[in-house]
Amino acid sequence: MMLAPRTLQAYRLRLRFNHAESSGPLFDSMSLQLQAIASYSGMTDVFRLRAADVYEILTLERVEGFTRLPAPPPEERSSRLFVDHDLVLLRLLTERLSRSELLGDLLETTLQVLDERLGFRHAIILLADERNEKLFTIASRGYPEHGVGSEVGFGEGLIGMVARARRALRLSAIDHSLRYARAARVRAKAVAGAESLCREIQFPGLPGAASQIAVPLMTQGRVIGVLAVESTDPLAFMPREDTMLTIIAGHLAACIEQLGRETEESHQAVPAPSGLPRTGGTSVRGRTFRFSHADDCVFVDGDYLVRNVPGRILWRLLTQHRDEGRSEFTNRELRMDAWLGLPEIKDNLESRVILLRKRMEQKCPDVRLVPRGRGRFALEADVPIELSEKPD
Amino acid sequence: MIPPALVGLLQTGVSVVVGTRDAALMPECTRAWGVHVEPDGRTVTIFLTEATSPHTLRNLRANGQVAISCTRPTDHVACQLKGRVRSIRPADQHDRERSSRWHREFVGEIVAIGVPAETGQAWMTEPDLAVDIDVTDVFEQTPGPGTGERI
Repeated sequence: MMLAPRTLQAYRLRLRFNHAESSGPLFDSMSLQLQAIASYSGMTDVFRLRAADVYEILTLERVEGFTRLPAPPPEERSSRLFVDHDLVLLRLLTERLSRSELLGDLLETTLQVLDERLGFRHAIILLADERNEKLFTIASRGYPEHGVGSEVGFGEGLIGMVARARRALRLSAIDHSLRYARAARVRAKAVAGAESLCREIQFPGLPGAASQIAVPLMTQGRVIGVLAVESTDPLAFMPREDTMLTIIAGHLAACIEQLGRETEESHQAVPAPSGLPRTGGTSVRGRTFRFSHADDCVFVDGDYLVRNVPGRILWRLLTQHRDEGRSEFTNRELRMDAWLGLPEIKDNLESRVILLRKRMEQKCPDVRLVPRGRGRFALEADVPIELSEKPD
Repeated sequence: MIPPALVGLLQTGVSVVVGTRDAALMPECTRAWGVHVEPDGRTVTIFLTEATSPHTLRNLRANGQVAISCTRPTDHVACQLKGRVRSIRPADQHDRERSSRWHREFVGEIVAIGVPAETGQAWMTEPDLAVDIDVTDVFEQTPGPGTGERI
């Protein structure tokens, strides 16, 4: 039997024991509360939560005859005890994001929670390259090809329009021909020679997408990227989904900005994530990287890998690896390297390294960039590396 | 026998929570409108209402086993009495007076911990039944070292 604290109405609950917890979020929050109360009264060593028992409520009924006060109608009852499920999800997501110390973790965590907890199965995060009026894909989830490195111009397609208009946009029950994947179509580029053709990376797109939402990532009045989701269900997205994503985008933008500002290296070594399975047993005996000065592109075994700043970063790492035998690098030294052409402020270095790392995971998994904590990473190679350059 | 210190506690405005069980050991819990300790310290009477506690009364009539948890809201000093029902009878004038004295004390307690006075006053605690119980065990229930120990 329980009494409502405001009205002293009595309620009778039939419960069935479900399980006991001695770790996890529920236990931690109850334990912390108990510890706080215990420390208030100098009883820290006396009170300790050993376990939290979780019950299933089988029935719940009001017991009449306890109070003369009328029971308030349901809509007038204080709902502050019961937190809306969406708020619980937003709280969970923002807490997880605030704990991320590395940009890569932040982006992956966002996509993972969007998928597993909020049901956004197909999502893309793009960051703005303001100098070139472009957005490039930095992370995605729910697509066969992750499309990291693919680009969309400001104003181009749903995503580009959202970046330009600085407003969230939702398209429901759209005609298939409107798919923005088309807007990011491959632009024909007639360049002589098969190897020097800098092909566009395919933009991730959901076949038969019928609903989309794109939300700008805004901080301090600037668009620093776009968060986009899509679904094959024409009615998957409603105002609720817009609102949730807009809140998430605001928090994500602030976290990206914050991590970008902290350029100091962390001295705490972060173990390499066991992420991708090694391609042990493949027939690759070595990798040949080729840098084309004419169009700023790096090719691996004749395939386009990456270009522009990420391309130059890779080339710098590979040549230093060859010439000086180095395999550990810091963001700081890259920032001081004039040849890379990073802008002095808002250099997006972290995101360019992530882009490079993901392209390499896809194209040459036996040569890897491995994060070593904030501002540090390592170049690891399972196979011999050969380098060649194509001059202007 | 209930120690004199606990008799003192039971004469204040404690909350009185009554635990019983049915033949299938399904627990049931309700509130009583006060507890009265007989001078011998071995028998107590609790005051119940049939309308609000039908399951509890069914259990009491079926097997007579009862556990009564009494807690003073303002300082959480608490004890539990276990015993067997001796009789269930209509509440008489004495019982109603005892229960109404308890009600005044109890409302004072809950107002002291923040319940608005009118909410406390609105609590209906007029018993129609008095249940006499032979106390067999007494347990310490004030939180802290020794909680749960038999007295």
